[in-house]
Amino acid sequence: MSVPIVALDRVSRVYRTGRVEVPALVDATLFVQPGEFVAIVGPSGSGKSTLMHVVGCLDRPTSGSYAIAGSPVADLDDDSLAELRSRTIGFVFQSFNLLPRTSALENVATPLLYQGVGRRQRLARATAVLERLGLADRLAHEPSELSGGQQQRVAIARALVTEPALILADEPTGNLDSHAGAEVISVLRELNASGRTVVLITHDRAVAAVADRQVPIADGRLVA
Amino acid sequence: MTLVELVRLALARLGASRLRAALTMLGVIIGVASVIALVSVGQGATSGITSRLEGLGTNLLTITPGATRTGATRGAAGSSTTLSVDDATTIGAIPEIGAVAPELTTQQLVVAGPLNTTTSIVGTTADYATVRNFAVWQGAFLTDAAVANDLRVAVLGSTTADDLGLGADAVGTQVSIGGLPFQIVGILQPKGSAGFVNEDDQILVPITTLRRQFVGGDSVRTISVSVRTADGIPTAQAELEQLLRARHGLSGSDPDDFTIQDQAQLIDTVGAITGTLTILLAGIASISLVVGGIGIMNIMLVSVRERTREIGIRKAVGAKRGQILVQFLVEAVTLSLLGGLVGIALGLAVSAAIAAAAGWTFIVQPMTLLLATGFSLLVGIVFGVWPARQAAVLDPIAALRYE
Repeated sequence: MSVPIVALDRVSRVYRTGRVEVPALVDATLFVQPGEFVAIVGPSGSGKSTLMHVVGCLDRPTSGSYAIAGSPVADLDDDSLAELRSRTIGFVFQSFNLLPRTSALENVATPLLYQGVGRRQRLARATAVLERLGLADRLAHEPSELSGGQQQRVAIARALVTEPALILADEPTGNLDSHAGAEVISVLRELNASGRTVVLITHDRAVAAVADRQVPIADGRLVA
Repeated sequence: MTLVELVRLALARLGASRLRAALTMLGVIIGVASVIALVSVGQGATSGITSRLEGLGTNLLTITPGATRTGATRGAAGSSTTLSVDDATTIGAIPEIGAVAPELTTQQLVVAGPLNTTTSIVGTTADYATVRNFAVWQGAFLTDAAVANDLRVAVLGSTTADDLGLGADAVGTQVSIGGLPFQIVGILQPKGSAGFVNEDDQILVPITTLRRQFVGGDSVRTISVSVRTADGIPTAQAELEQLLRARHGLSGSDPDDFTIQDQAQLIDTVGAITGTLTILLAGIASISLVVGGIGIMNIMLVSVRERTREIGIRKAVGAKRGQILVQFLVEAVTLSLLGGLVGIALGLAVSAAIAAAAGWTFIVQPMTLLLATGFSLLVGIVFGVWPARQAAVLDPIAALRYE
């Protein structure tokens, strides 16, 4: 069997506020194989976001071990985590999180900037991805000039531009109407069909249903 | 990320809020402009004063008699009559000395036709023109023969000639000085006033004539000496002292009964004073540069807060701390450097205008420009580092959640 993209082994994440310890994630174990489309489903407050932060290398587990695409993240400093995010993860957020007053093209090219890719190549690669997502005529538009569905597709393009091992989508349809939401989900499905590994985090069972595998989460525990 | 890309990013960012960027830069602009203007004006003033002092004569030493002393009472400097025409003649034998001009002055009423004026009549020798840097505009200067034969000839200063309504054709005509007819042999070129004495408002006559007709006695008020080379001044001064002490019969413990003033020393003193003033003014001006820097820091801190979410996004897509730090730092430095460049342009314009108005030469030293640029760079770095660090250490999760 190949190396799993996501390998969470009894991972816990405990937040400390003063003397109170809040366990947001308890003994989570999850393996995602290359090419899989996994949905993590749970209501708000279930620990979805914490799981997303840990899987997305934005946060470190309090205990347990986590390896992404074969690289263990324990003991990595902030910059090494940033490097790991840059190389292996593409984020798609609920609120799009595009850079304001910045063209779609520049937005999509931004991750490549931090990889040290030259400007010419950055723009060429960003253009190619945007064209693939049907936004060839929106390159110069700023986020405020785009519809929600278009913004989310720009965000997906930004996630894809680095050719990451994993696309991590956190409630990608949460801010979209049902039509635009369906469009985004079909884009994610297409990406998965072309071999990309996708982890989708959602509270919506209907959205989760498009995944190959659903992993419910409740009270910080994964119900495998 | 190359520097070019960082600057491009910063410029795009600043371009998005031009008014804010311009107002932020204003502090640095004013600071740099005032430093440049004050330093340039200071240097212009120094060189203006120096060139006027040099106009008094090159390598000039001025010997004046000391104060009279009656018992314990010391009179005014120059009040004694210890310097004589013979002193002046002997001085000429010192090898370092090129020219010697004794001076004796009196005030007389001068009449030319219907006009009259009261002015200084300076009795001197032919060397005076060399020693005091006078050039003749019309006619000729006093000659050795005129001095030897105490002729009643006069050379007019340009202002005096104007006051008497005399032009170029006046050479060869007569004026009445103190009731006696003098022949005008020359008119001097204007020199410009040097401090309190207007050297253009005087009439030069042979010292022998002046003594014979107006003053009497053997003493002179001043002996001006021109040293051949600047390097020879200290030696010349020492020899003068020795010679005059010997001639005046002063023993080892007696104080000098004369004073030797060195023009170069005076120029140095003036230079030191204006230099100190310039540094003082530039120091005050640089305070506004610091205030400008604080303005930049303030706006950068606001900017970091406003753009917390943007920083979170950048971090999520893989920006490292150092990359965020450098990005914000370059933004601050771009602000201060742009401000500095505008400030330099403004400062140069202001100092050029002041120089033109005051009639100084407009002086810009490349060093000043380099320093100003360096300082604005430094201001950007010093006041940009902290906000940039604030941005760099933001936690990506908290930053992404920030509304």
